[in-house]
Amino acid sequence: MASNGLILQNVTKKFGGLLAVDKLNLTVEEGQIYGIIGPNGAGKTTVFNCITGIYKPEEGSINWQGEEITGMSPNNVVGRGIVRTFQTIRLFGQMSVAENIMSGRHYKSRQGWWNGIVHTPGSARDEKENWLKVGELMDFFDLRQFAATPAKSLPYGIQRRVEIARALAVEPKLLILDEPAAGLNDKETLDLVETIFRIRDRGITVLLIEHDMDMVMTLTDYLTVLNFGRKIAEGTTAEVQSNPEVIEAYLGSEDEEDE
Amino acid sequence: MKVLNRSGYVLFLLVILLAPLGLNSRWMAVGTTFLIFSVVALSQDIILGKGGMFQMGHALFFGLGAYMTAILNMSYHVPVLWTVPVAIIVPALFGIVLAGPIVHLRGDYLLVTTIGFNIVFVQTLQNNVFNLTGGPNGIFGLDSIHIFGYDLSSQTDIYYLSFIVLLVTFAVMHNLETSKAGRALHYLREDNLAAESIGINTRVYKIFAFGLGAGLAGLAGVLYAMQYSAVSPDAFNFLQSVLFFSIVIVGGSSIPGVLIGVAIMFVLPEVFRQFAEWRYFIFGFAMILAMILRPKGIWPAKFGKIPAYLTKE
Repeated sequence: MASNGLILQNVTKKFGGLLAVDKLNLTVEEGQIYGIIGPNGAGKTTVFNCITGIYKPEEGSINWQGEEITGMSPNNVVGRGIVRTFQTIRLFGQMSVAENIMSGRHYKSRQGWWNGIVHTPGSARDEKENWLKVGELMDFFDLRQFAATPAKSLPYGIQRRVEIARALAVEPKLLILDEPAAGLNDKETLDLVETIFRIRDRGITVLLIEHDMDMVMTLTDYLTVLNFGRKIAEGTTAEVQSNPEVIEAYLGSEDEEDE
Repeated sequence: MKVLNRSGYVLFLLVILLAPLGLNSRWMAVGTTFLIFSVVALSQDIILGKGGMFQMGHALFFGLGAYMTAILNMSYHVPVLWTVPVAIIVPALFGIVLAGPIVHLRGDYLLVTTIGFNIVFVQTLQNNVFNLTGGPNGIFGLDSIHIFGYDLSSQTDIYYLSFIVLLVTFAVMHNLETSKAGRALHYLREDNLAAESIGINTRVYKIFAFGLGAGLAGLAGVLYAMQYSAVSPDAFNFLQSVLFFSIVIVGGSSIPGVLIGVAIMFVLPEVFRQFAEWRYFIFGFAMILAMILRPKGIWPAKFGKIPAYLTKE
């Protein structure tokens, strides 16, 4: 099936005897903001790790823009235009904000390894172009004042922005956000929602995991709900909200409450 | 701070440049050793400091360069100058081939493996393989180097040659800091998974670091062989590797830090020579103190060196 989106078919990932993801099917269309929700331990992050090449699924296939990317190494997945952020922020802590964002330019930079030994006029120009791109991104995320600040010394909310800026520096087609609102206060969450809309307006497909239900409902076009590694529902936000199985998974069934 | 840094370098280079005027023969030898070992320690810094790979077999690459020159010159009568490319390329290839299967190993495991390589290397030299390495006594009586018809054999000549090689090393280190490849090493040291997830082929850059570090160490090896007109296995044993490793750790992975480290490890023991065996006793305590007082090294590497046009409005 030719598609411009991301298609997961029967993806299964086991850890020993534990079935973390069980025959998962999902299709992310180009230009969507797609949400994956579910209780803790439902296998959401495992799905992301399978897509981005950190884990290799035991079964099933992952197809991106008509190309099979199952089992590719993480850096090759990035080369296909898929970039992720982490639930626990993983910045290069000692390095400055600008240097962190510059890491995202790695794939687009045309320098070869030999330019690490000698620069050529071409590589020097390439170096400057990439730094200017970093500057643009710092403006987009309002980070220029922190350009030379070590990433680990910044507040959590700003670190999140740096991480998303770093991912966008790759100029991805699909941005995968793992709980981007975790640890943020209400105002920061509102800013984040607005930022994600702006990212989508740049023509980037967004796939995200989130716990904050208000945020998911305002943000996403389409949702998949996972529980114990299986998909229990999918649909638009309105459809999912009224699904009894989802309510049960999130709030517990009425019977349980009676006991 | 930047001005201070730059004037510091100028001062350092001036001192090195003018030092031979006031040094006697013994101190010239110490000075040359300082320059050569600085190159080796900086090349170790590429692997250990920048790449964060615990490599404790760096004397292997240093020795390989020295032995390449010695063997080609003594057994095949190649002029010393023509052995230089071989003494860079062969250690670099060795670095790449040895690193290939081991760079995925974590910290301590990599450390043990590289120690193993170093021990194998020294044993091979001592056993006089193919009748080329001269056994436990090594090879002596090398020709001096001829460049443009000049015979560079005096102590001062070797000193200035080493100085030029150190300048080349500085240039390489500077390029590395301002290039994609060098930054990739910093990223993968800080967080390997995050580096891969942002599109860096960490394996390639780790092997690159080994190749580059080994090549530079090999170049320093040529100078070492020329300084003594001789090479012997003892100069490249495991203990030397430990010293290079300690220099980067004690100094802190920065150029000034590494240079201070080399001075402490190789020049200070010379200063305290009259204390005979006690000097290593003091020296050991100095290392312990340095690590307790400055756990990140005497002069730790600083980040945030971004182009000025990024911070100015």
